[in-house]
Amino acid sequence: MSTLQESPPSPAPAGKKWIRITQVVDGHDVEEWMLVDDVEGIAWPARESLRVLNTDIRRVDAPEKVTGRAVYAHDVRLPGMLYGRLLLCPYPKASVSLDLAPALEVEGVEGAIELDLGGNPTGYLGQPVAAVAASTPEAAEDGIRAIRAVYEEQDWVVTFEQAIAEDAPQVSSRGNIVRPGEDGDLGEARAALEQCDAVVEATYTLPVQHHVCLETHGMVVDYRGGDEALLYASTQGTFIPGREAAQHLDLAPSKVSTTVQYMGGGFGSKFGIGAEGRAACLLAVQLGRPIHLLLTRSDEFLMAGNRSGSHQELVGGATADGRFVSLIQRISKLGGIGGGSHPSGRPYIYEPEKHHVSNQSVMTHTDSSRAMRAPGHPQASFAIESMVDELAYAIEMDPLEFRLRNLNDPFYERQLDRAAREIGWYDHRYRTKPGPIDREKATGIGFAVATWGGGGRPACQVEVRIDPDGSVVTSVGSQDLGTGTRTYVAAITAEEFGLEVAAVTARIGSTDYGNANASGGSTTTSSLAPAVKDAARNARLKFLGRLAESWGVDAENLAIEAGGEVVDRGGDRRVRWRDACAELGATALVANGEWQRDLAGNGIHGAQAARVEVDTLTGELRLVKMVGVHDCGLPLNRRALKSQINGGMIESLSYALFEERVIDPYLGVQLTADLDNYKVAMTGDLPEIEALIDDGDDRNQVIGIAEGAIIPGQSAIANAIYNACGVRLRSLPFTPGKILEGLEALRS
Amino acid sequence: MKNFTLLQPDSFQAAVEQLPSSHDDPARSRVMAGGQDLLGELKDHLIEPDTLVDLKGVPGMDALDVGHGDAKFGALVTMAELERSGEVQSRFPILAEAAGSVASPQIRTRATLGGNLCQRPRCWYYRNEHTVCLKKGGTECFSFAGMSKYNAIFGGGPSYIVHPSDMAPALVALDATVVVRGSAAEWKMPLADFFTLPGEGDVTRENLLGGDEVVTGVEVPDHTGWRSTYVKFRERGTFDWALSAVALALRVDGGRIAEARLVLGGVAPKPWRCRSTEGLLVGRELNEETFQAAAEDALSGAQALEHNAYKIPLTKGLIIKALRKLA
Repeated sequence: MSTLQESPPSPAPAGKKWIRITQVVDGHDVEEWMLVDDVEGIAWPARESLRVLNTDIRRVDAPEKVTGRAVYAHDVRLPGMLYGRLLLCPYPKASVSLDLAPALEVEGVEGAIELDLGGNPTGYLGQPVAAVAASTPEAAEDGIRAIRAVYEEQDWVVTFEQAIAEDAPQVSSRGNIVRPGEDGDLGEARAALEQCDAVVEATYTLPVQHHVCLETHGMVVDYRGGDEALLYASTQGTFIPGREAAQHLDLAPSKVSTTVQYMGGGFGSKFGIGAEGRAACLLAVQLGRPIHLLLTRSDEFLMAGNRSGSHQELVGGATADGRFVSLIQRISKLGGIGGGSHPSGRPYIYEPEKHHVSNQSVMTHTDSSRAMRAPGHPQASFAIESMVDELAYAIEMDPLEFRLRNLNDPFYERQLDRAAREIGWYDHRYRTKPGPIDREKATGIGFAVATWGGGGRPACQVEVRIDPDGSVVTSVGSQDLGTGTRTYVAAITAEEFGLEVAAVTARIGSTDYGNANASGGSTTTSSLAPAVKDAARNARLKFLGRLAESWGVDAENLAIEAGGEVVDRGGDRRVRWRDACAELGATALVANGEWQRDLAGNGIHGAQAARVEVDTLTGELRLVKMVGVHDCGLPLNRRALKSQINGGMIESLSYALFEERVIDPYLGVQLTADLDNYKVAMTGDLPEIEALIDDGDDRNQVIGIAEGAIIPGQSAIANAIYNACGVRLRSLPFTPGKILEGLEALRS
Repeated sequence: MKNFTLLQPDSFQAAVEQLPSSHDDPARSRVMAGGQDLLGELKDHLIEPDTLVDLKGVPGMDALDVGHGDAKFGALVTMAELERSGEVQSRFPILAEAAGSVASPQIRTRATLGGNLCQRPRCWYYRNEHTVCLKKGGTECFSFAGMSKYNAIFGGGPSYIVHPSDMAPALVALDATVVVRGSAAEWKMPLADFFTLPGEGDVTRENLLGGDEVVTGVEVPDHTGWRSTYVKFRERGTFDWALSAVALALRVDGGRIAEARLVLGGVAPKPWRCRSTEGLLVGRELNEETFQAAAEDALSGAQALEHNAYKIPLTKGLIIKALRKLA
């Protein structure tokens, strides 16, 4: 998250005030000041009076999902539809010449196109160079393989070491090391190290991680000539693909509709339509038929983005009484042909008294990094939380205590204490030094904390419609990434009308409905929920106004009670919901809502703890338990919220234990381009997971939770391994091989 | 994958007539049992046969005869059957353990014993369509100087694959015999001799099976009075091949080891039998000193590549665990 000036840029004029809002740019939070009307806004009801919200709500679309009735972009089948497929360049860099004719001879292949490289060589391993469309996926694959492609391989770099070598082949015209930045004073930081009782110097590295969306990237373009097109997109932003696709379809943006009823995961990688979307549009234009182009799993690994790798050199110093005095940190972000991610500016979360942080992007001829849940934060967390841990043990201080002294924040104090209690830290035997390795099973505990924005912004336009038959429909274009958006759209409305969640229909995921922001930076809920609340409230007031008029009573005296019963407190009239709605006559009542700043907050925390068991004979690492304690202001759906925390922890333990993109440095071949060789955690790898909501956070505002929960897990696991057996792993993933190597070093 | 013709013969003779007489024409046809490895190879374009000969309709090849005395296992017996059979569990626990460690429950219901023994290597250079390694008729084993984390520490050169089968080391530890039938005749040999090292012949293959031959079953001598176990170590908790595995069978008499067979999986291009260690174990008591000595001896000849040295201490640890388990 970019840092923001503490105070507004200028004094607010009369009747206005400045508020901080979070903008999301390519999945990154960017905070800025915004001038809004200074009026008393609406508020969420007090927590104790909530009937639906802040309870465990079942997902409204769960039956569709578990029965397979939910139609994802992958599942769309249209009359005359063709299947698209891409040809990927198998070299990190090559000039390409193609003969498409043989592809067109393959039975079932209807069209083939060369993708525009602008006369340049390819820039990264797996860059798509051609596409075909065919009547079956199999024919499309045969078509791709029939293309006569001549590649002239050019010099390339695929690793950090290759990229920084002297005379390395250049990835960009600016060189391989770009975008330098720094913060703090190196001289002061160095001088401060002199006064430290313990100084730790260490290099921490993280491999490239993949998003591994269950539904691969792509879309179905329903265009059969003419003026209009409909996209079935797997996207994080309903309103993004249409604008982009319109250019390639040569249509007005307003003529391209998009539907996103269900989507199988994006994690930050599904904002634009990408090369696959562009190819689908071009094939649709050429052939005048709907094109289904969703990437194969292997293509997904090569060209659909990733979390950047990281190489970080740190020197940290602390005094014996537990003051984190100084930190010097040099960060190299490894984002392929992209920039990579790391929170810029000051050290991550912790505030050593002196610091110097420098960062740079190191480029290689590999796929560009993209935003991936909490871009840069897990990488930043691993380095700083490992350093903090190393310093604590170096001064023989309980690492929990060292954290508390240096965080100095009531949220972290509360959350770390809760995590420590749940994981059993206070009864743990080894708290200021690691356990001995003469035991076959060494257990250890580690901690780490997280921070994220999750604030909202004005973007959503929500409509609530009450029909004379009593049905209530809330509609907004927002997509549901699987996080439960559809459910809380219904739940917030239900809360307002005293109805059951099932009595409200949520219509989402379409450009036919009101605008909504893309889901990046955990901003969906904090941007959308206030607008839903506003629309529901406006609908309620309008509805009661209409009834008051029809009944000839004072609207102030009308209220809706649980069960949707409308009560006139001035008289003794009680009317059931349906009967009250019937009084609307022939026309439905419609009300709109927009974002309301008072309903959304910003800034979340979190603490996680891991308990591990290391087998000192085999290096086997068994996760015994993980605890996550997270805040997010007012929880809308506790069940979905715990599911988010749970999911974040699973993703981070998978990162910790398994995930690593491997490219052969001599051949330039990606060896992990399938789910056999790119390992992700499975059910059998999961420990007991305790996902806890920090109810000590009494902010009555909604804030996005998602990304906070994925940040600290791998750091807590690394610290737990050290606590168990004294092996400090400074490189992900934590394989048995690395643990054995560490144990051997300790023994000799 | 390339289109193919699927034949479903109902007799062995009809099946074998469809197979090529030699490996020179591998594109022509392949046998399929559970198809769990074969389909992966087809989808990854590692092989592109014109014809698949489905063996599942061939009578008699799914027999499981383990009631008493010597046991016979048909090649079409599934991993799930081996894992769940009460008789296998009690008479040959090592086989039930090995079968239960294979892949996932879904795959085990389809995957067969014959297929498990004859599956191709998992080496990520072999499985990647864009490399032409030694195993695919190329001139170089890329793992030797490359990303060798999963490769061999024993028996490597010129290829450094590891044999992926879990059943093979377990069966070799029981001194099993493999039964092979071709169009002409049936032959049997110790399963241990059926597997070949890359330096011992055709580097593109892992066993002695002829082009028109099929593994029809495995015979295991009675092991009454023996103890056996299969200890598999994998990176992931489920659905993963072994980084290293230990198949151990012991006959203990009067507190001392009378007979021992120790076979390693996941560390060599074939099931790696540790004969000198077996000799060392015989006559010894089952104590920590014995276990340490055995582990050291078994790994004394190991040669690590750049990224797989961890397999040496790992395998030592597994040997100790296996011995402790049987003590």
